[in-house]
This record gives sequence, structure tokens and C-alpha cells, in this order.
Amino acid sequence: MTTIQPNLQKEPIRYRLKAFFMKPANLILLFFLAALAVLSLFPMVTMLKNMFTVHAGTERKLLRLSVGSWTLNHFELLFQDREWSRANFFTPLLNSLIVASGSGLLGILIGGTVAWFITRSDLKCKKFISAVFVFPYMMPAWTLALFWTNMFQNSKVGGGVVGMVESLFGVCMPEWFVYGLFPMIVVIGLHYSPFAYLLIGGILKNMDATLEESATILKARRFTIIRRITIPIVMPAVLSTFLLIFSSGFASYTVPVFLGSATRTFTLSTKMRALIQAGYEGQGYIIAFISILLGTLILGVNQYFTGKRKSFTTVTGKSGQVSLVKLRGGNWPISILLIVLTMFFAIMPLFSFALESVIKQPGNYAASNMTLDFWIGTEASAYETGMPDGILMNGMMWMGLFRQVGLAIAVSLIVGTCGMLIGYACVRRRGTWLAQAVENLAFFPYLMPAMAFGTIYLAVATGASFKWMYGTFFLLGLVASVKFLPFASRSGVNSMMQIAPEIEEAATIFGVPWVTRMARILFPIQKSAIISGYLLPVINVMREVALFTLLVPYPRYLLTTMLFSFNETGYSQYGSAVTLLIILIIIAINALVNKLTGASFDKGIGG
Amino acid sequence: MKRVLSLVLVLILTCAIALSASAEGVEDALKAASAMTNEQLYEKAQAEIAAGAQLNFYSTTSFAEKAAANFMEAYPALAGKVVYAEIDDGETYTKLTNQIGSGVKDSPDMALVQNGPDLKVNLLEDGLSLNYFPAALAEVVPEKYQDPAVVTFINSLMIYNNKEGSVGVANVWQLVEPEWSGKVFFKDPTNETVNLNFLIMLTSPEWTEKMTKAYEAFYGKAWESTEFASASYQWIDGFLKNVNYTFTSASKIATGIASGAAGNMGIFVFSKLRKVDENDRGNLTVLQFENDVDCFSGFMYNVYATVCKDTDCPYACALFINWLLSEEGFAGSKSWNSSQGYYSPNTTILKPEGLEDQPYVYWDGKLVFEDLDYIDGLGESYNDIYRFINVRVSK
Repeated sequence: MTTIQPNLQKEPIRYRLKAFFMKPANLILLFFLAALAVLSLFPMVTMLKNMFTVHAGTERKLLRLSVGSWTLNHFELLFQDREWSRANFFTPLLNSLIVASGSGLLGILIGGTVAWFITRSDLKCKKFISAVFVFPYMMPAWTLALFWTNMFQNSKVGGGVVGMVESLFGVCMPEWFVYGLFPMIVVIGLHYSPFAYLLIGGILKNMDATLEESATILKARRFTIIRRITIPIVMPAVLSTFLLIFSSGFASYTVPVFLGSATRTFTLSTKMRALIQAGYEGQGYIIAFISILLGTLILGVNQYFTGKRKSFTTVTGKSGQVSLVKLRGGNWPISILLIVLTMFFAIMPLFSFALESVIKQPGNYAASNMTLDFWIGTEASAYETGMPDGILMNGMMWMGLFRQVGLAIAVSLIVGTCGMLIGYACVRRRGTWLAQAVENLAFFPYLMPAMAFGTIYLAVATGASFKWMYGTFFLLGLVASVKFLPFASRSGVNSMMQIAPEIEEAATIFGVPWVTRMARILFPIQKSAIISGYLLPVINVMREVALFTLLVPYPRYLLTTMLFSFNETGYSQYGSAVTLLIILIIIAINALVNKLTGASFDKGIGG
Repeated sequence: MKRVLSLVLVLILTCAIALSASAEGVEDALKAASAMTNEQLYEKAQAEIAAGAQLNFYSTTSFAEKAAANFMEAYPALAGKVVYAEIDDGETYTKLTNQIGSGVKDSPDMALVQNGPDLKVNLLEDGLSLNYFPAALAEVVPEKYQDPAVVTFINSLMIYNNKEGSVGVANVWQLVEPEWSGKVFFKDPTNETVNLNFLIMLTSPEWTEKMTKAYEAFYGKAWESTEFASASYQWIDGFLKNVNYTFTSASKIATGIASGAAGNMGIFVFSKLRKVDENDRGNLTVLQFENDVDCFSGFMYNVYATVCKDTDCPYACALFINWLLSEEGFAGSKSWNSSQGYYSPNTTILKPEGLEDQPYVYWDGKLVFEDLDYIDGLGESYNDIYRFINVRVSK
């Protein structure tokens, strides 16, 4: 028998290429490199172009130039006039930075503290606190903003409408507490504190406890152990979490709208939208671009401090034994305090929305002022508020819900699968430029504020070649898939990193095809984490507004855009009812998937 | 190669001709429709529907949904084929300019839009949408409301919380005084074009003159040029300083004023009073019904009907616009006329008795009417006025 040896000297590239393409991981990486380059970079190029071109409407009229012609006027308008740039750029930028930093710090403080108590102490009622503490992350951020105003608005501030706290206790909180930067920081910080809890908690849970135990044996004080051992170990995760919350807080749009209008506290996101709506699209795109630049800077800082980005998620390798800190006499008081706090921010909003959805006259919580008409009212009994009947009786609401759930499922399937494939390919080809490029490109959409991302895709979908996409379900699915890919890809990388390559290699030696290896070996091993990767986009889509608001064909197309429209136009009872419905659906989906598969969305993040 | 090239050229030419023919076809159809009776239009509309068309329309006013339902009852052959979609004011033109001609499924056939200047500059001037007005109504609708065709007027009035009695405002200059700081509620004009247009209208020569006279009447001295170009600019500056933006929509202003602090005043859409709970309505007083305010007590803006250039049912659109301008359409069950604050350009349609409102003519001179020609004719100075307002909103 003669063996034909390839002539590597003669045709090395050919054989190298063949070997390269023989590996499914390389093919996957090439596919995603091309796809993500188009989906992430092409919109970016379109946006850059829009910063320098004249748009139809106001710009064309003011500049007396034809649509599409090149101009630097948008930059001149935004930056040359001191008063204009202060009002539309610098002051909002400062506000955005304050909100982002404040919410980042608060999120870390609350989430990190709770994470430490849950993972490293013998706190009571851990299961309850742990389960309920993540609720605010499942809620759309602006629902917490609504809850805040429902609670604290009072006769001394804003419009003088009485809120729950004043109604029940006669206490009037000052304006800075109810509206402006402070409540924005609190609300966004609280919204993302479960995020910090899950990320930091994941590190604390998996941290090698022998370090702390050694210190204890050496008679180090508890505070010294926390300061010298625990904090340095979790510091990379803390920093990464801070930067991620900072980025999300910076991009927040709905919270500043609800909490900032009363005190004229505008942020870059709110100004960007106002400028685009007023016909100054070019300036709006410049603001969007600067937001993205800042996001990129944040990623750079993150990578610089943490070495590599993956360090914000799971640390592999578990300690054989974890010794819990005994809280002794402080256990019950701390447990009760945490229960009360989590109840207030996680359960109270649900009660608040339920209550607000059944009262006719705001601020009057008497039984005589209650009705179920906003839920089940028919044409005869419902109020003349623009909706012909209660939300459960309304076909449009059901259609919005159906679309939202359909979109969530579609996006989940796309994003979950892509995330898993990216994770597999990046881990198998770790260290190559291709894997690094795909990992970075997959993470890039996270840096774009949802509002800016929606605006970019609006610009793309309004281009001559892609007009057919505008207003379609396909566009929403595409945009949401790209936007929510970062966490799924991180989840994919994390789960695949925990599987030793030898397992797959053994199957490869036996000639098991790649698809079978994935389906029979890799997926079953990491089933829970992978399903969690599918679950996270469901939650993201179910609560997303800013991303979809410019892209839906009409405001009542999706349940969340319908809700935002209700709240904007003053249908507050319908708004509260729909909000409650969304939160309950998210909780139900999470619970159902958890029951069926053991997965939950916190595992998708890396907890 | 030559064959391929020529084939491509022929294809491009065919498409171009087809597209232009389509736009011309709609324009011709609308011209023909203008002279037809409703019966003739109904026949044509039925043929369009039979050919697979569906009338999709956008509207910034939710009453249009009920008007469409009444329309389909009156013309049963069109039942289920007139589909309403609500659209936010701020996104109206972004969406329409993108959707018209895009071929997107269920793209709009017509729209009921506010903000005439934007309608003109974004749609009509670019030929994206076309005007339609029925010749039969030329005698009963003033000419200036025929092109672009106005289907309803909406007013925003000064309304205050009367729990502690009258606020005693008889002159608009009172609202720029320090005691009104934070007590006047108004929707952010940089987010609501009709509110922006109201402020822009104040800079017109006509309103500047009225503002100057009101200034003299209130302060007892002639207005003198200081840092502002006119009395109107001074009023806008003072007004925007006092404005409170807590409530982000007209409905929220209405309910917020009603259930909020005594003496608060809002300038909001009159028809939003229907959103206020019955128990609270007594807390509200329409300033104009109490005092004949010097020099205005709110503003009036127009809602226009416009037909998209790529509609496949121009006759159905024409019939629907006829309906909206008719007594049955405008004053039908639970339609515009049943609410305060909506007025038909058709002078034969009056507000029903028993409604706390006044006919359209009553408001002439008492409210600042949006004038499309003035705003559109501002040219580059539009930017200066917008800048003046924008920077003051943020202060």
C-alpha cells in the first residue's frame, strides 16, 4: 500500500487552506465575521455618512441644498454656537455622565453587597432574597421610573399630584428626590443592581475559599480579609460591572424622559431624539456617534484594567469548601432589612401597577374609586380614553402581545443559536485573530446606545436599497438579534470554556460528525447554560422600548411600544395594566423554563 | 453583452415609466374624484377593494379610528378594508417619508397629519403625497383650508385648577411674571411641533402687534426694545422660563392639572378634558370662558388629510376624505364633533348644543391660529426662531 504524501513545499497554502476549512470552528468564525461586519459596521458607515449629508425636510429647507449633498453644517450648528451646544450637547453630556457614573456606583454597591451576603454569609431567607432581588432587572427600567413617581410625587413638587407616600403617610419628599438626576441614578442603579449581583455573585460563589480560610487561621480580622482578599479578587468583576452599567445608564432614554422633564434635566439620548424629531437629523447622528465613541472608550478601559473582557464573567474552578461568614446577632436584622428592601423595589412595583390600573382618579385609593374597566371593560363601560375597551378585551393589545412574544421567541432562537456557535468557535480557536475579531464584533452592539442603534438601523432601512425592510417584523427581529447578541455570545464563550476540548477530540477521532458532536456531546453537557443563553434575549425583547420605538410601523405594533405610547399620551391606567402584564409574562417565562430545564436567565449572564 | 445591457436599460425604463405613471395615475384619479358624487366614488372604491386594495391610513388623532368605523358602516362594501394606525406626532414625517413609495406591505394610502409646514416641506413639495379636496364642498369650506385640505381644527386652551378660586388672568403678560414660575404646564415645544408652531406664530407681524398692545395694556407703558427683537420674543422668553414640563403629554397635563395643586394652569388640547375623571372635571376652568383674555387664551392648529402618491385606492381615499368633511362623518356617533375642541372646516357643521364649547368662529382672534404660509415662508430665519426657543427650553 502506498501512501500519497501531500507536497507541502509545493502547495502549502492550498493544504493550509484545506486544513483551515476542514475545521467547523473556522467556517463558523468566517461566517460570523462577514455577517457581523455587515450588520455592525455597515450601519456605522451609514451613520457616519448621515453626519455629513443634508436630509429632507428642515435641513434641506434651511440649508437650501439638495438632499444627500455633503455639508459640515451639522457640526457647525452643534458646536459653534455656544448657547446651542451647551443646551443640546454639553449640559446633556454632563447629565448623562453623572447619571451613568452614579447608577454604576449604586448598582455595584447594592448588587455587590447583596451578592456578598448571599454567597459568603449565613444570611436567612437567601432563596427568597435571591429569587426576588433579580425582579427589577426583568422589568423595563422606565416602569421603575413610573413606580418612583407614583410613590413620591406630592402636592409640593411637579404638578402637585398626590402620590402613594403622601397619601398614606402625609410625607412630601423634596423635588430633587422626586425628579431629576437623583431619582434617575437610583432607578437605573436599582434596575442594574441585579446585574451586579449576578456578575459579582458568580465570582464570589466560585472563588477559592482557601485564601480566606488561611487568613482566618492566621487570625486576620474579618474586615481585613474582605479588604485585602475578597475585594481584590472581585475587583476586575466590579470594575467591569461598573463599566457595563455605566454604558447602559449613559444610553438610557426612557428613564430621563419620565424623571427629567420636570426639572429640565435632559440627557444626550433625549436630546438626540428631540433633534432628530425636529428635523435636525445630522446633529442627532453626531450625538449618536459620540455615544458610540464613548462606548468604545469604555470597552478599551475595561479591557485595559481587566486584561481581557471575559474576566467579568465566571471564574472557573470551584473551591472544595466554602466557609460562610456567621452574621450572628446581626443575621436577622440584616435579613429583614434586605427582605424589606427587595420587597420594596421588586414586589411593591407590581402592587403599585396593579393598584394604578384599577383607580379612576389618580391619588384616590378609596374602594369607591376603583374599577376593572381598564382591564375588562367593554365599549359600554370603558372610559372615553382612546381605547374602545379594557386591555384584555382589546384585539390590538392581543396582537401587540402576540407580536412581542413572537419577536422574543424568534430573536431568542437566532441569538441563542448564534451565541452558542460563536462561543464554540471562539473557544476552539482561542488566541487567533479571527476568534478575537468575531468576539469583539459580537460585543460591539452592546456599546451602542439602544436609541442610537435604532436610529442607525432607521438610517439603513430608509436607504434606497433597504426600504423594503422598513416597518417590517423582519427588521425588528434583525435589529434585536444584533443588539442582544453580546450577552448570548458571552454566555456561549463561558459555557464552552468549561468543556475540556479532549471530549470533543475523542469523538472526532472516532469520526463522529460535527453536528452529532454538538447535539450529542456539547449541548447535553452545558444544556442549562445554553438554554439560559436562549432565555436572556426573550427577557430583553419583552421589555425593550428604545430600540423599537423608531422602527415599529406604528406605536401600538408591539406591547412595549404601545405601553410607552400609553404613558406618553396619558393613558396611565392602561399603561399600568400593560406594564404589570409584561412583568408577569417575563416572570412566568423565566419560571417555566426554570421548571422545565433548570435554566434561568441569571445563568445566561454568567452567574 | 450588448443584449444584456439593452435588456437592463429596457427594464430600467419600463420601471421608471411604470413608477411615474403610477404617481400620475393617482394624481389623475384624485382630480377625477374631486368632481364625482359619493355614489360614483363608492362604486370606484368597491372596484379598488375588489382588486385587492385596502385603505391603510395613519392618524395622529385617535378619533379617526371611530370615524373609520362609522365610515365602514355607511359603506358596508368597504367593511374591514379601512385600517387605522395611530402615529406619534414626532415620528409622523420620518415614517411617512420612508414608507411612501417603499413598497412595504400595508404602507399607508393616506394620512391625517398635523404640522402643515412639515407636511408641505416633507411630503407635498417632494410629490410624496397629493392633495385632494372635493369640488362639491368648495362653497362651504374656506379656500385657504382646501389646499392642503384641512379635515379638523384642534385647539389648545389655557385651563387652570380652580380649587382655590379664580387665578384672575386677564392678560397673557401675567404668565411671564415670577408668581407663575413653575405653575404653567406646557408640552416641551422641541418635542411637539404644534406647540413649537404656536410660539413661532407669535413672532409674526400680526401677533407681534397684538403682543405689543397687550404689553402696554398690562404694564401701562410702551414696549421698548431691550435684548429682544420684539415683544413676542420677550414674552416667549419669560413664558419658557416659567413653564413646567413635569407632564410629558397633553393628557397627562389635563389629568395632572385636574388632580394637582390649586392655581396650576396648563395650555393643552381642549379635547383631552375627556381623559379627566368626572369627579375632577369640576376642578378645571377654561380661562377664555371666564375672561376675554388680552391677547390670546391658547392656540388652534389644523389636521390635514393627504393622499400618498403610491396608493392603490385613490377613490377610496377620496371617499373617506369626503366622509370626514361631511356632517355624517364629522358629527357621527362618538366622532370628532361629539368632543370639545374639534371643529370642522365645513362651515355648515356646528358644535352640538349642550357641549361646553363654542363654534370655530368664536375662537377667531382669541386663539393663535397656525398659519402654514407664515411658518413656511420664514426660510432661514426659521432656524433663528427655533434656536431661540430650543435653548430656552433647556434652561
